Amino acid sequence: MKAIIIGSGLGGLLSAAKLSQSGYEVDVFERLPIVGGRFTNIPYKGFQLSTGALHMLPHGPTGPLAQLLEEIGVNVEIVRRKPNVVIRIPRKRGDTDYKYGHKDILFEDFRTQFSLLNRIKLIYYIVSTRKNPPTGQSFEQWCRKHLDQDWTYRLSDAFFGWALSLKAADVPVEEGFAIIENLYHYGGPGVPMGGCKGITNALVNVIRSNGGIIHTSSEVSSLITEDGKVTGVIAEGKEYNTDIVLSDIGHPATSKMIGEETGILGMDKYAHNAAELKPSAGIKICLSSDKTLIGHGGVLLTPYAKRVNGINEVTNVDPSLAPEGKHLTMAHQCVHWNDMDNLEKEIQLGLEDLMDIFAGKEYEVLLIQSYSNDWPVNRSPSGADLKNKTPIPNLYVVGDGAKGKGGIEVEGIALGVKNSMQDLLIK
Amino acid sequence: MKSGEYTMKVNDNCVGCGQCTAFCKLDAIEVRGKANMTAACIDCKTCSAYCPVKAIEA
Repeated sequence: MKAIIIGSGLGGLLSAAKLSQSGYEVDVFERLPIVGGRFTNIPYKGFQLSTGALHMLPHGPTGPLAQLLEEIGVNVEIVRRKPNVVIRIPRKRGDTDYKYGHKDILFEDFRTQFSLLNRIKLIYYIVSTRKNPPTGQSFEQWCRKHLDQDWTYRLSDAFFGWALSLKAADVPVEEGFAIIENLYHYGGPGVPMGGCKGITNALVNVIRSNGGIIHTSSEVSSLITEDGKVTGVIAEGKEYNTDIVLSDIGHPATSKMIGEETGILGMDKYAHNAAELKPSAGIKICLSSDKTLIGHGGVLLTPYAKRVNGINEVTNVDPSLAPEGKHLTMAHQCVHWNDMDNLEKEIQLGLEDLMDIFAGKEYEVLLIQSYSNDWPVNRSPSGADLKNKTPIPNLYVVGDGAKGKGGIEVEGIALGVKNSMQDLLIK
Repeated sequence: MKSGEYTMKVNDNCVGCGQCTAFCKLDAIEVRGKANMTAACIDCKTCSAYCPVKAIEA
C-alpha cells in the first residue's frame, strides 16, 4: 500500500512515520527546502529560534504527542521541570499592571486571588461542571455568569492566549473545559531536548529508516481523482500514484486542491465549511540575555500585561538552544482578528509589556515573529476544528487545521493524527 | 543606498514570520510585522525559497 503526505509539518511527519511503521510505502512532499513546517528550529545569530511553536509541548512527557511519539518508537527526551506554570501578579493587590513591582505565584495557587465567595463557588463548579459540562456559549460568557471577577477574565485571557492564541471570548465553553480537564489528566508543559527540531528530526529518521522518501522543494500542484477517490498527485510536473493521501496543509487549501468541478458528493458543504475557518494569529518576541529572565523552565503567565500572555525560557532546560552563556526567552501574545490591521501597534504594546515585566533586567530583542492568515498560529481556532475526514474517502487532513477535541496546539495535532490512523489502519 | 535596480519585492502574503531573515546570509532583511529588504540585499533570491507563503517575488 502506498501513502502520500502533502506537507512536512508535525501532523504530516507524525502520519508519515506511523504509516511507514505500519508497512506503507510513504512519500512526503514539502514545498519548502526545509522539513518541519511550524515545528522546527531556525538558527539565528547562534540561537535555535523556531519556525513557529515555542519549543514546548503543552502536556510535556505524558501528553498525547509524547504518547504518540513513543508508540512510533521516537526517542526524544521531553523534560518537565518544576515550577510548571507560574503566574505573575502585581505586588500590591488592586494594582492593574506591573509598573510598581510584581510577585510570582504558582499556577496551583490561582484560587487564592479569588474572592472568598468565588473560592467557595469554584469548589462547587469543579464538581458540577464535570457532571454537566456547560455548552452553547463562550468560555468568557460562562465566567461572567459564574465567576464574575476581574481576575477570572485576566487569567483566562492569559491562559487561552498562551495556549491557543485566542481570547476567552473566542473559546467555546465546551473546548475550554475539555482543555482544563486535559490539563489535569495529562499534566503540564515540557521542553523537548533539541527544541522542536529534536522531535521533527527524529520523525524524519523513522520515516527514512522505514524506507519512506521525503521530497523537499517539491510542491504538489494537484490531486488526481477517479470515481470519487484520489489515485495520485502531481508534484513538480511528475505523477505519483497512491492508495491514500494525507494533507497537512489545512482544510481550506485541501478543498481548493480538490476543486469544485469534481461532482464529488458533499464538496459544496465541505468547501463552504473550510472557507469559514478563521486561523488564529499571534506574535512571538524572541529575547536574548546573559542572565536568566524568568529563572525556571516552565511557563510564566502574565495576566496583568497589556498584550503578552505568557513567556518561557527554554534554555533553563536545554542550554544548547542558545550560544554558551546566553538565554533564549520567548514571549507570546494573541492577536485578535480585530487588531490584525494594526500589527505594528500590537508589537509595540508587546515590547512595552516586556519592559515592565523585566524591569531592571538586561536583554536584547533578537527577532519579532508574527503569524496569521496562511501561516498562522493555528489554521483552525481551537474548538472549531473540522474533523480529519474530507468528502474523498481516502483523503484525510491532519495538522493544526484538524486538531482533536481539547487538544492544545501540537497535542491537538497528535490527537487528530491518532484519530486518522485509527480509521485508516483498521480499514 | 538601495536603488531601483533591485527587484526583490515582498507582497501582501507576508505575515512577518521571519523565516526569510534567518536564511539570509547577508542579514539584509528586517522583520517587524512584515519583512523588508534593506540596502544590504543583493537579490540572491535565497530567501524566496524559504518563504512559506510565497511572499517574496524575485
